[in-house]
Formats: sequence, C-alpha cells, structure tokens
Amino acid sequence: MKNDLPREASASGLENLSLPLEVRVHGRGGQGGVTCAKLIASLYTQMGLHVQTFGDYGSERSGAPIQAFTRVDRQPISNRNKVYQPDHLIVLDEALMGPQVLSGTAAGALLLLNTRSRLDAFAGQFEDYRFGAIDATAIAREHGIGSSSVVIINTTILGAYARLLGVPLSALEKAYASLGLSGDLAAAEHAYDQVQIRDPRPETAGATARGATTWQPVLPPVLPLTEHHTDLPATLKTGTWSTQAPRYREHAAPCNQACPAGNDIRGFIQALKNEGADAAARVLLRTQALPSVCGRVCPAPCMQGCNREAFDGAVNIRSLERWIADHSDVTLERQSTDTPRRFAVIGGGPAGLSASYQLARRGHAVTLYDAGPGLGGVLRNGIPAYRLPPDVLQRDVDRIVSLGVDTRLNARLDRDALARLPDEVDALLLCTGLGPALKLGVEGETLPGVEQGLDFLDQAKQGQVTLQGRVVVVGGGNTAIDCARTALRCGATSVKLVYRRSREEMPAIAEEIDAAEFEGVRLVLQRQPVAFTGNGNVSAVVLAEVEPGAPDASGRRQPVVSSRTSTLDCDTVLLALGQGAMADVLPDDWQIRNGRVWRGDAALPVWLAGDCANGDGTVTHAIGNGRRTALAALSWLESGLDGGVPTGDKNGENPVAPGQIRFSHFDVAPPHRDKESPPSVRRNSFDECNHGLAGPEEAERCFSCGQCTHCDTCLIYCPEGVIARAGDGYRIDADYCKGCGMCVAECPRSAMEMHEKNKQEVSSCL
Amino acid sequence: MSLKLLSANHGAGLAATLAGRANRTGRGFCSGVYPITPSTECMEYLCLQEIEKGRVVKVESEHSAMAVCIGAAAAGARSFTTTSSNGLAYMAENCIAAAYLRLPVVMAVANRTIGPPWNIWADHGDALMLRDHGLIQFYCADNQELFDTVLAAFRLAEDPAVMMPAMVCMEGFILSHTVAQIDVPDQALVDAFLPTTTVPHRLGEAPHALGQIDLPHQTEMHRHQHLSAMNGAARVYAGIQDEFEHIFGRRLGDAVVPYRADDAETLIVSMGTIGATAERVVDQLRAQGQKVGALRVRLFRPLPSEAIRAWFAGKQRIAVIDRDVSLGFGGVLWGEVNSLADPGTVVQSYLAGLGGGDVRPEHIVNMLADLQPRKNAGHPAMMEAA
Repeated sequence: MKNDLPREASASGLENLSLPLEVRVHGRGGQGGVTCAKLIASLYTQMGLHVQTFGDYGSERSGAPIQAFTRVDRQPISNRNKVYQPDHLIVLDEALMGPQVLSGTAAGALLLLNTRSRLDAFAGQFEDYRFGAIDATAIAREHGIGSSSVVIINTTILGAYARLLGVPLSALEKAYASLGLSGDLAAAEHAYDQVQIRDPRPETAGATARGATTWQPVLPPVLPLTEHHTDLPATLKTGTWSTQAPRYREHAAPCNQACPAGNDIRGFIQALKNEGADAAARVLLRTQALPSVCGRVCPAPCMQGCNREAFDGAVNIRSLERWIADHSDVTLERQSTDTPRRFAVIGGGPAGLSASYQLARRGHAVTLYDAGPGLGGVLRNGIPAYRLPPDVLQRDVDRIVSLGVDTRLNARLDRDALARLPDEVDALLLCTGLGPALKLGVEGETLPGVEQGLDFLDQAKQGQVTLQGRVVVVGGGNTAIDCARTALRCGATSVKLVYRRSREEMPAIAEEIDAAEFEGVRLVLQRQPVAFTGNGNVSAVVLAEVEPGAPDASGRRQPVVSSRTSTLDCDTVLLALGQGAMADVLPDDWQIRNGRVWRGDAALPVWLAGDCANGDGTVTHAIGNGRRTALAALSWLESGLDGGVPTGDKNGENPVAPGQIRFSHFDVAPPHRDKESPPSVRRNSFDECNHGLAGPEEAERCFSCGQCTHCDTCLIYCPEGVIARAGDGYRIDADYCKGCGMCVAECPRSAMEMHEKNKQEVSSCL
Repeated sequence: MSLKLLSANHGAGLAATLAGRANRTGRGFCSGVYPITPSTECMEYLCLQEIEKGRVVKVESEHSAMAVCIGAAAAGARSFTTTSSNGLAYMAENCIAAAYLRLPVVMAVANRTIGPPWNIWADHGDALMLRDHGLIQFYCADNQELFDTVLAAFRLAEDPAVMMPAMVCMEGFILSHTVAQIDVPDQALVDAFLPTTTVPHRLGEAPHALGQIDLPHQTEMHRHQHLSAMNGAARVYAGIQDEFEHIFGRRLGDAVVPYRADDAETLIVSMGTIGATAERVVDQLRAQGQKVGALRVRLFRPLPSEAIRAWFAGKQRIAVIDRDVSLGFGGVLWGEVNSLADPGTVVQSYLAGLGGGDVRPEHIVNMLADLQPRKNAGHPAMMEAA
C-alpha cells in the first residue's frame, strides 16, 4: 500500500527542519546503527549543514544494544555530549522498544520504528509522535543486504526516514555514494514507498520537541560530589550482552560416516591412544565381528574420508584396526536376555558371521549353517593367504563361535529344508553371498587352460596349484588382483592383467594394484578379450582395443569395443569378471521384497543379508549389512514393527569437513606406513607380505574430528577466562561469556558450536 | 581545500598521509602500526593509503610499532604512529627512547582508560603517563583542531630547535570516533607548510649505534639541551601558528585557549572536549550574570606556564577539571597549574569523566556551586558522570 504523500514533498526538505536537530538511533551491534547515523549526517551535509555523528559504543559484539547520534546545525557544533533529548528517534530493533529507548523524546518528535507490524497495530501507542512504521528487515532481506542470518537494515530504513522528513529520495544518492553504499539505494526507495506514516494527535501536533508540556526530562542524575565514594558498583554481567553462546557438541566424524561396517573409528582410535589396545578393542568389537580380517582386506573408505588427507595424509586407519586386533585378545562377553530367540543363519561368510556374532553376544541362540568344510566363505576360499593368513581368520572366527554359536558345516540346505526352517526358529537369515562366476561368452572360453579365477584361488588356498608359463588374468576387481598375485606365487613366468577400462577406473583397492605392479604384474588396459585360441590348450587370447564411450546413468563411461585386435600369447587364462546374483535356491513360493522374504501377502521371518541382499561386494559392507539385518530382525521380533534394514548408521548429519578443522593447531606428521616384505621374498611365498604397523603411534595423528579430546584449547583461547575444567568436560560461565565465539572458532576439531540464545537468556537491558 | 566528512581517527590518518607525501622529495615516510581500540581506525586508514616513497609497516606489538618509527626517523624519514591506553603503556619504553634520541616521531593518541579492568572509553591518564620524558603533548577538542594539530606537530617536532617526538591526543570515541566536517587542504599547501624532514643526527653511510652510554656530566648536558628545546618549543609553536594561518587561511589554536576569561572571577580549566562543554557552561552562567570564564590547555608539554599564570592573575576561584587521576595526589592538570595562581586564589581539583563518563554542563554547574562557597581548596573531588 502506498501513502498519499507526494514523493517530492519539498525540494530540499529544509523548510520543515528546526535546527539545531538531534537524532538518536537505537539498534543492536551488527545491525549497522552507527553507519545509519553516519548516513543521516551525510544526508544533512548535502544540504550544506554542519553535522556531528558518533556511536555510543558498548562492547564490540553483535547483539549488544547500541545507540548512535547525529547532530545538525547551521554553525559548527561544540556539544560533545550524548543525545539525551532527540528530535528524531530511529529504532532498528522493535524488541528494544521501551521506556528507556523513548526517554527524553518529547511530544511532536519524529519516531521511526522497524517493525513487522502494520501501522494500525499501534493504535493508542506513540500518539504524541510523528510516527513511521516500516518492515525494513523484510525489505533488506528481499534486496539481499547482509547475510541470511544477519540482515543489515540501516540503508533501507533511511529511505523511510527521508520520506518522514519530506525530503526527496534523490537527496540520499550522494549520501549513499559517500559511504560506498549506492547499491542499497533500491532498498531505500522500496522503504520510501512502503513506510506508513501517522501524524501526532492534534493537541500535540503544534508542540515543538523542546519545551513541550508532555516532555519528561529523563537525563541521568547528577550526583552530589560526596555521594559516589561509598557506592559499590553493581556487578556487570557481560554475559547478558550476548545473543549467542557457545556449547560443546559432538559432530559426526567423516571416517565413522564412511565406514560400511558402522564402526566407531574415531572412538576406537582415541581409546587406543588414551587407554591402549584392549580398550580400543572393546569399542571396535561392538560393531566389528572380524577386526583381524578388516584390518587387512578392507578397502578403507574411512581413509578416503579422513580430514587429515587434506593436511599431511590420511590416518592409516586400516592398519590401526589390524594393530588392535593383533594386540588384544579381548572378547565382549555374551550378555543374558530375558527373551532369548532362536535364529538360523545360512552361510558362514562375513555377513553370516557378523549377524551370528551380533545375535549371539546379545544372548540369543544361533545356528550357523555353511555348505563348506569351514567358516569364512570368501575369506576362507577366496582371499589369498598372503593377504589374510588362515590363522588370522581363524582367530576372528573362533571369537564368534566362542559366544555359543552352534555351527553346522558341510550343510547345504535344499529348498525343502529351507522351507521348514522358519517353523523351527524365530527368524532365519540368508547370507549365501553371490551366485556363480560370470563368463565372457566368447569363442574358445571352454578351452582347457581357461579357468575361473575364484576356483583357482580356492584351489591355491588349499595348496593344490602349480602354474607354469604365461598367465593372463581378465578383470579389474580385487579378485583379479588376487588371481594375478597368486599366479606369481604359484610359479607363473609372467602375469598380465587385462582390463577394459583405465587404471583409475579399476574397482580393486588402490594399494593392491600398487602391490601387484610392485611384484611384477603387468597391466594391459583398455583391452577386452574377444576370443581364446589354441590347439588343445589355450595358447593365445585375442584382445580388442576398447574406447571410452558415452557416460551411463552413473556418469561412468561405457567401454566401446573396437574392431582393432591384437594377440597375446599365454598358457593359462584366469577369468575374474565378477559374480552373478544369488543362485536360485529358495522355495518356489518365497518372494524377495525389500531384503525380506514374503509368501504371498505374508512377511516371513526370513531376511537376506550381505551380498545376496545388496551385492555391495566388499567384506566390510557384508559385515555391516549382516549386523544391521540381524538387529532389524531382532527389533521386528521384539516390537512387531518392520522398520526395514537401514543401509548405514548415518544419522543424516553432515560430517566435519576439512574446512572445519583448525589445521594450524596441529603439527605436520606424515602417516606411519606399514612394513612390507621386499618383492624378492614374495614371489614363491604365501606368507603374509604386509606386516602392519610397528606400533600404535599412528593413533596420535587422529584429529578426533567432532569429538572433544579435552585439549584445553577453548579454555586457553577464551579472552574472558570463563571456561573451566569441570568433571569430564568444561563449564562455561554464562554470566560472563560475551558470546564472542572465539572458543568455537579455535576448537581444533569442531567439537563446539554457537547457538542463538532464547529470549529468556537474552537480556534486553540497555 | 575541500570539506570532508571524517572521523577524528581518519582525520589524523589523513593528516599523516599528507605529511608523509610532503616528504617525498626527502627521505620519505615510514609508519609502524599496531591496532588497539579506539585508535585502530586511524592505523586502518593509514594502511589503505598509497603514499609515494612511503611505507606503513604492520608489526606485532605497539613496542615494535614505535621501534619501526625510531628506525625510520633515525634514517631521516618522516614518521608517525597511533595507539591508545595499555598499547601506549607497552609502547612507552620506545616512546621514551624516541624522545631521548631526539627523533621527531608524531603520534596520534586516542585516549583510553588504562586497565584492568578493561574499559575502552576516554581517559587522559594514558598519555599523561608520558608527561615527564621529553615528548610534546597536545590535547584537542574537535575534528578540525585534531587534523590541523597533527600537521602542525610534524612541523614542530621536526623543527631543528625542537627535534623531539610529539603526541597529539584525542579522547577515545568522544572525539576519535566522532564524524564531522574537516576542511582538508590540497597537497600543494601541505607541501608548502611542511619542509623536507631533516634529522641532523640521522644515520648516514657510516654505521654507528645511537644512544650509547652517557656519563653523568654528559647526561646533565643532554637533559639541559632537551629542557631548553622543550622550553623553546612554545615560542617555535607561535611562529608555526602564523605560518599555518598564512598558508591555510585559518588560525591554528593557541597553546592555551581562553574563553570569556578576561573579566571572569571564576575560571574553569580543562583539556580536550570537556573544554568545549565548559564553554557552553560559561555562556549559560554569563547569561545569568555570573562572571565565569574558561581556559582550555591545548599544549600540555611544554606547559605554557607564563600564559596560564597571566590568565590566572586576579581570579578568585579556579576549578580545574581532570579526566584523569594521579592516584595519591589528584588531577594531573590541577597539580601542574595549581602553583601558577595568585596566593589566595582557590584552585580546586575536580575529577570527572573518568573511564569515559559523559561530562555534561550540569556536572560543571554543580562543581561551580561547590566551588563558590569555598574559602580554601580542599581535597580533590571526584564527580561521577555515567
């Protein structure tokens, strides 16, 4: 709604001006009140008048009430006092409004209020003043002045002031230009148009500001000379000035967020650092059934997420996990439960072991079936001994079994047996992994000498393989690398690994690719076998060149096989092309929906876990999914609610980013590397070739992102000295905390945050 | 000349900049700076200026800021710095060194209460701490006066007969942060007013140490020279006033600024902006028929004793208002001028506006009401002015 007043009320605005003029601005630190008074001074300077403007600075912090003053006169101004009886009063923050703000403001004065309310909301209020109401905050926000949290309204509200004065908008232009604020003129014009104005009541309309009958002098008293000596000054609680306050708050660590198993990585590293391997193991074993395994074969997405990577190299988390597993024989005790349940778990791979572990340690009865002669699944028959020695795997398996897991080996359950199981137990978890290995489907694939890599690895693990001559491995995943490195150890003269994409696109763990090349494996990239040839035995593979094609839905470029081919002589080919979906072993009337088995419309107490549920393909994912599925099944049994199986343990919070870490508080210390055997001793040996860390010192490098380590930085940096150690943490004296935020800014690990104080906490004292 | 809307802090920074540029044909300009409220704006302003043959060096402390100025002045450059309060206290050792090395460094001091407890507001106690060690001290009452005095301070400090540092003081916030019009001269006029800096004892090609050991008789001689130069500075200043007026067309304030003091029976003596308030009180009381006048001491070191003595002659009562307190004594200004009055004149010390309190006309009226019935001066009286 626009007012009826003409926009160009007078040429200069001087006609109605009574000099000397005193203006007082009330606001809060950060709102721009002092600049507002300067702009007013600049406005009057354009009219050829003498001005004087200054702020009544309190504490230099946002939110504290401030005043600013402007005097205007035809002659130089010698009054050096604050403005106690303003002719014009501008209030930037409606919450400040009260007797103290109005003090000394006589009837007939001009009052301009920044308010969300419309003029008619002030019926019966401020009737002695020429009153203007404007929502300058909304206008400034609309024009993007300030930030989303702090809107700066000084330039906006002056448009309304000009309108109230009756001066043309053009008078503001020079004033704004003089302070470099011309960009805000549009907002001022907006306010000029929008301000709602009400004239004073007729009986006060004629009164001048000074000497009006309704004027109540409210100057501070002048004390007699003798009085003050005995007065003890009142305590000044500077905490009442702040609108924000710091607090300690744990934030998510990127390593924890990245861990597919849901391990509390920050927690176990800090426990290792502060209390040793046993304490760390107790943290780790809450979520991790197979720490010795993961400490060796995990692709460690935690290390990719580690904030230290942006500083001096990621913490060697995987090897710290290994160090803990290798140096502690702690086992979490089996708990007792009032409602023991019976579970059957099918498949003794990582997912089945993890699920069994979590259920057994909570006191439930678990029967674990595996078709093979031992537990471990792919850990036992797929991952070579030089990466995962059998005794290491056995240590983790023994810990799980020792919790009372009833193990049935060589137990391949047919459809009928499976169909009966749900009636015999409270819940059934299927952890049968992936299906059979994939084939290329090209000519010559059935020639002797062309073998599946998984079969090869299984036989090699049993010590049943010797190789001779040239070996070609096809594939780019961890199985392919395992095949290549195992082939070298089995006597191959040379090993070449053929992959259809680039090295960077290989799904295998980067360190494993490095190790393979270090040991002598040659990579043949951007090549795809299109045929195998040979008389009797395979003797060559025909490779077509592959070009990167158009990106698919995930953004990954699809390989395009060209017609350009070459031939690579070989004696053995190992295919490591991945595995298909779970074999069709379920009873005919079972259907899988959302990781659970249904018969018709009835949900059976049967869940799928691990690779057979989601095909994520790493040991760590399977461990995490096995645990979460077990807990989801348990929750369903206890509450009857099917909340589904969560895909991770993330709580939706963004983890601490490198920019939130104060690197300057840390010394540069490169990561401790694992000790490795030289290639000369690796070639014909299945002995473990990575020997892990020499000690636990790597734990010292952990930033402990988002979690307080009681480092005292907050206490040291607090300029007010109001932070003290208390109990297991710190206490902040709210009476004297100014809310400067220095402790939060200086916290090395983002374990603190600022929060807006609520209205009860914020004093509106002046 | 052009009218510019500037805070006193920025005015001081601009005056130093113009003075710095004026020495471009000489050994240039160099300023060491370190921030402290309320003088920070002055150093910030200086840091943003392009000064031909000039450099502003940001250092890690006030002590080092003055050390830069000492080095610069000792090498013959024009030099300037600014500070406040405990910053000045920390700088003090080197301020004194600059003085006894007779180096013409100019400082703008935004007066602030010395802490702890911390108080950011005005109090003259910081600058007065340095009154006895050979630095010239001015106290100003408005933006234009501050700007003009900084320019004049370079001329005075660098005068061969003076050759010592000069402090130009303004009350923190009350003046330092107050924005008002300043008449800013063109560079050519400043060039005309400020000759090229010449430090006779500046470090030349042959390396040597400054300020090596003085034996007693040498110290006596050095103190005597310094004292003579101080005493002569007031006369030199009078000459600078004339030249300033000749070049800029306005009169630079006197060492002591009287206001309706000729026929006054009662005088209000003060420094800085309280002097401006005292003049408003004089007008108010004169209108009521009271014979009151005011005296504002602008040049505190060297103290213009003779001028003050002349203005005191024949007065019945003198109220000396200090925005400072020498603990165990009373107002510092009062202590300085007490002995300059006739025997029998009541010279009473009033302490007001300590820690930045707003001294209003009513306060001064109350002081005079207290003074009027006194037959003798009493203990220093403190008045609370929140």
